[in-house]
Amino acid sequence: MPDTHIDTLIQHYLDGTLTEDEAARLHQQLTLAPELGARLLDHVAMDAMLRATKPVIPLPSARPGMVPKRRFSAGTLSGVAALAACATLLLNLAWMQWKTPPVGAEDTTASIAVLTQAVNLQWESDTMKPTPGSPLLPGWLRLKSGQVQIEFYQGARVTLEGPAAFQLISSGEAYCRHGKLSAHVPPQARGFRINTPRGNIVDLGTEFGLNVDAEGAEVHVFDGEVELHQGTSMKPLKQGEAASLVTPGGPSALPANAAAFASLRDLDARSAESLRADFERWLTLSQARNSDPDLLLRFDFQEALGARTLHNRSAHHRDVPDGSIVGSAWTEGRWPGKQALEFRNVSDRVRLTLPEETSALTLTAWVRVAGLDRAFNSLFMGEGWGNRNVHWQITRDGRLRLGVAGQLNAGHQDYDTPAIFTPERFGQWLHLATVFDPVAREVRHYVNGEQQSRAAIKTLFPLRLSLAELGNWNNGTRGDRTAIRHFSGAMDEFALYRRALAPEEIARLAE
Amino acid sequence: MNTHETQAAQLFLAHHDFVKGVALKYAPWPGLMEDITQQVFLEFLRKESQWDLEKDVRPLLATMTRHIALRLWRDRTREKPEVVQKLADHIRMLAEESEALPRYEEEISVLRTCLQKLPDKSRELIQLYYYNDIGTPEIADQLAMKADTVCRALSRVRDKLRDCIQRSLRVEGGAHA
Repeated sequence: MPDTHIDTLIQHYLDGTLTEDEAARLHQQLTLAPELGARLLDHVAMDAMLRATKPVIPLPSARPGMVPKRRFSAGTLSGVAALAACATLLLNLAWMQWKTPPVGAEDTTASIAVLTQAVNLQWESDTMKPTPGSPLLPGWLRLKSGQVQIEFYQGARVTLEGPAAFQLISSGEAYCRHGKLSAHVPPQARGFRINTPRGNIVDLGTEFGLNVDAEGAEVHVFDGEVELHQGTSMKPLKQGEAASLVTPGGPSALPANAAAFASLRDLDARSAESLRADFERWLTLSQARNSDPDLLLRFDFQEALGARTLHNRSAHHRDVPDGSIVGSAWTEGRWPGKQALEFRNVSDRVRLTLPEETSALTLTAWVRVAGLDRAFNSLFMGEGWGNRNVHWQITRDGRLRLGVAGQLNAGHQDYDTPAIFTPERFGQWLHLATVFDPVAREVRHYVNGEQQSRAAIKTLFPLRLSLAELGNWNNGTRGDRTAIRHFSGAMDEFALYRRALAPEEIARLAE
Repeated sequence: MNTHETQAAQLFLAHHDFVKGVALKYAPWPGLMEDITQQVFLEFLRKESQWDLEKDVRPLLATMTRHIALRLWRDRTREKPEVVQKLADHIRMLAEESEALPRYEEEISVLRTCLQKLPDKSRELIQLYYYNDIGTPEIADQLAMKADTVCRALSRVRDKLRDCIQRSLRVEGGAHA
């Protein structure tokens, strides 16, 4: 038998890979040298403790390419059922289990265009209601009034005026049932096609206007050339020409009338004016919102240039201290002139000190998510974790979550929405709100004023606030390393109420 | 869960490191400690109506843990070759006869600090083996070492951690004295 070192034998015992020869030799050595027994037991105990310190979130491999060892032998498999059952019963102690996506899996999107600008926008009630920055999926846009600018992924840019019914078909094709639009089609988007009930327009690299109503359709070419297809006939239309698609026999010629589409051509200026008006309206509302008696903390992020303090604007709770900005840089918020804080680095955060406890809680924020880089992306997290602490966050798979630690560190409860933060929502300003309602005994989550989920509170107790952070997390202990949970994105408004806001109040805050 | 069940679960969670220490004493088989702890939890909760939760539950938990440890130990080793069973029984006997009290509770609390004090190479080894679940042969391949050398290196790291824990506990004990 080879002379295997005792440490190797002990390691094989710990691995569960002892051969019969090695088992015999280890047994013999333990019998001959009883002091080895204590050493072996020390290693068994240390091995157990080290396994217990394994982070619940799998660490990236220190050496890429290494494969995990098989932990379960046939002998250990009998414990798996018990393990699984306990994981549930132990009050969801395995709360941070993370499902690693398969290697090589990529996110995908079905979006084909993006809504880039809007002025006085009102959607019909039965349609999707995208806001500027929203990627657009194939489907109907039903515009009641106002104007929107849509950029198709192939490069064509369409400005649409309501009332309009416009169907997005692909990144190079749309259908206009009724409405007025202008289209700019760069060379890269040559072949862009808009269909109407009266005929189809294929653009050869140009700028044109289209007006479709119950009586017919008119196409006006301002630059370049388009093809009109009606039935089996095709008619080219050049710069300065227009055609009516009323007649069944084929398009009839008209002079191009750029003035008829003038309202669609100064969208940039009117969009800027609309943003300014929205900002002014928010400033007015902002004052009123500060006077809610249950508002403990509100940051409007409108601080002096280079400020490192966020002032608490609550009119009735001046005793709740201002927030201290650590790391985060200033950036532009929802409107030109509106300030926001950007959270990008591990260090970025706003430190808060809050009252110790509250029985009810509403958290609201306007955020622009840049990405979900972390397993837990902090919006607002109490320092440390345990004993009724609150963690408001977005999970890596896009769920909005209120995590509430149990009393005396026993168990915890996560209140989640379904996965709502898809890559299509990144880069847009969203209003998030979460309500912990002890009277209704439920937690409700809202995005842009619309309820996303509600879940029953299992065990009711006052929530602990105390020290907390916006956009990051501090584990509150000394010496240990802290899990990275910083938010990637920007925030330009945050509020914390000590009461459960009603759905209509949330909707007003999201307007 | 009713209030009593919740209280029982909370009590167990407050003592789960104690249970692990007892489990290790009666069943020093790698990986078995967690299974025993979970089984104790299940059985403790199943019979929660019988327990007086106002009293110190440690004696009760220790008794339950011992019974369950012995049962799972038998289940785990029954299928092993005879020579392995004999070794396992010998090790269990050593553990039972050891006069040292289970110290899992106090040791695990200082282990994390000791881990931070390890040199980078030792910490990398712990990460690879314990946290990334890489086997010793694969670690040996990647680090261009012999498997035997990796086993000994892991052993040395555990020794270092043991020393560190004992030093820390001595210091803390002295400070409170």
